[in-house]
Amino acid sequence: MIEARNLTKDYGSVVAVKDVSFTVGAGEVVGFLGPNGAGKTTTLRMLAGFLGATAGSVTIAGFDVATASLEARARLGYMPEAAPLYPELRVREYLAFRAALKRVPRRERKAAVARSLEQAAVEDVAETPIAQLSKGYRQRVALADALVSNPPLLILDEPTAGLDPNQIVEVRSLVRELGKSHTILLSTHILPEVEAVCDRALVIARGRLVAEGTLAELKARQRSRESVIGAHGEPASLEATLRGVPGVQRVRAKSTRDERGTVELTLEIAEDAEPDRTVERAVAALVAAGAGVRSVGPVRASLEAVFAELTQGDAERKDGA
Amino acid sequence: MSGFFAVYRREMLSLWVTPLAWVLLVVFLLLQGTIFYSIVVHFTSLADLAVETGPVEAYFGQESVFLLMTLLLICPALTMRTFAEERRSGTIETLLTAPVTPSAVVLGKYAAVLSTYLVMWAPTSLYVVVLRHTGAVDWHAVGSSYFGLFGIGAAYLALGTLMSSLSKSQLIALLLAIFAEFGLFVLGVGEYVFEPGLMRDLCAHVSMASQMEEMSRGIIDLRRIVFDGSLAGASLFVTARVVDSWRWG
Repeated sequence: MIEARNLTKDYGSVVAVKDVSFTVGAGEVVGFLGPNGAGKTTTLRMLAGFLGATAGSVTIAGFDVATASLEARARLGYMPEAAPLYPELRVREYLAFRAALKRVPRRERKAAVARSLEQAAVEDVAETPIAQLSKGYRQRVALADALVSNPPLLILDEPTAGLDPNQIVEVRSLVRELGKSHTILLSTHILPEVEAVCDRALVIARGRLVAEGTLAELKARQRSRESVIGAHGEPASLEATLRGVPGVQRVRAKSTRDERGTVELTLEIAEDAEPDRTVERAVAALVAAGAGVRSVGPVRASLEAVFAELTQGDAERKDGA
Repeated sequence: MSGFFAVYRREMLSLWVTPLAWVLLVVFLLLQGTIFYSIVVHFTSLADLAVETGPVEAYFGQESVFLLMTLLLICPALTMRTFAEERRSGTIETLLTAPVTPSAVVLGKYAAVLSTYLVMWAPTSLYVVVLRHTGAVDWHAVGSSYFGLFGIGAAYLALGTLMSSLSKSQLIALLLAIFAEFGLFVLGVGEYVFEPGLMRDLCAHVSMASQMEEMSRGIIDLRRIVFDGSLAGASLFVTARVVDSWRWG
């Protein structure tokens, strides 16, 4: 559905995106992951045809964005980062305008607007001027805009940015739902979002693609393992106890306790240690120190650790060069 | 030209649901009314009734400098938001990622401000209707006068649209348009400054006041139409290129 080859964008001497190649197949939900300023928005803008690539090419559903731009754009619903809208229009007016602009035939426009209002769950504000809408509603109106022509491909730039936790959950479940019938590429800098909705992720850092694969594949890249232990006691002394356990590389304690006084401790296990044995030793050490162990999580690689390694490792290599 | 009508309708809607078009309409009609009233009063005070022209011709013709001054204010204000506002608010990104060509976007917006301009002039036709009772009105001259105003508006608004595409700030767009249009107006005044020769011919050729003076007498000179048309066409062409160039910014 999307094929990007050697995409490069530079602004004078500043290279924003360098030599990025990837494909997104039909029906996939792909997360485009990277820290702020990594080149996510620039890349998505090139895919959507808003920015021209300095070098490289993009095809959307077989149409080259540079040479068959209108055909390519007709097949995609793009939602820009800040969800820009015309404040003076009512939601229904805006969507009707967008439907006409996206070549929805006149007779089908009303139905298309009604469908997108329903899909994005903004029917209740259909007659409200956009200027009066909250951030969450605006975000969903922008999503309704992306959906109004029922395109096979959706490109969403940080669809959950600036939303409250409830709204984030809503938008994520909406994206999951849409993923059943659309190909979706969504950018984010929030890892749980990728875990929650995506099949596959592309990781970008400093304008370059540093990793690509299913979430399981990405996690497998991380050799160090970790486990989360919930225990009752003084965070500092719990941490100190765990540090003394052989095989434990690092300990991170959450500074806040939950309502039952449980401290969450994240145990990073050294590469050469046997993970399960290390956790057993850690629990034994906590019990011996008089701490109440309340929960022990499974040993796994966290996506956060992978993300940190990929994006920061890249920075270090670059600085070292 | 896919998208032209959608852009046109959205632009008209935005112009008329916000106060801008209404405020401009009121200011415009107040100014025109005052100018016309003054001219009529002036004519009634003339002892000698054997003057060649009537107030309608004077309004569109010899005294058209007043009318043109109002256009120097109204036209830039009408066009200032066209592109500047879309770029400031970021809506340009959704607009240009829809399957529309830059020329459809430019022409749609331009057609909307031009229509609004015509709507503003429409009530002034009542002046003529009112004066019909006091004497003969040369409807042919009235028609050519409005045609001249249409031509000047077409040129000024295209120039203003171009200026709006050059800045993200409406204020800068407004000032640029006023400078450009006022500059053109001042160049026309050169007709009365320079000695007969090339400069004088040039100034007479671009003079909006001379254009109105001619057209108020029912004379439609093809050169005037070509000048207005090519100024509008060139401005819109450049605007479309500017819009296209944002892709490479």
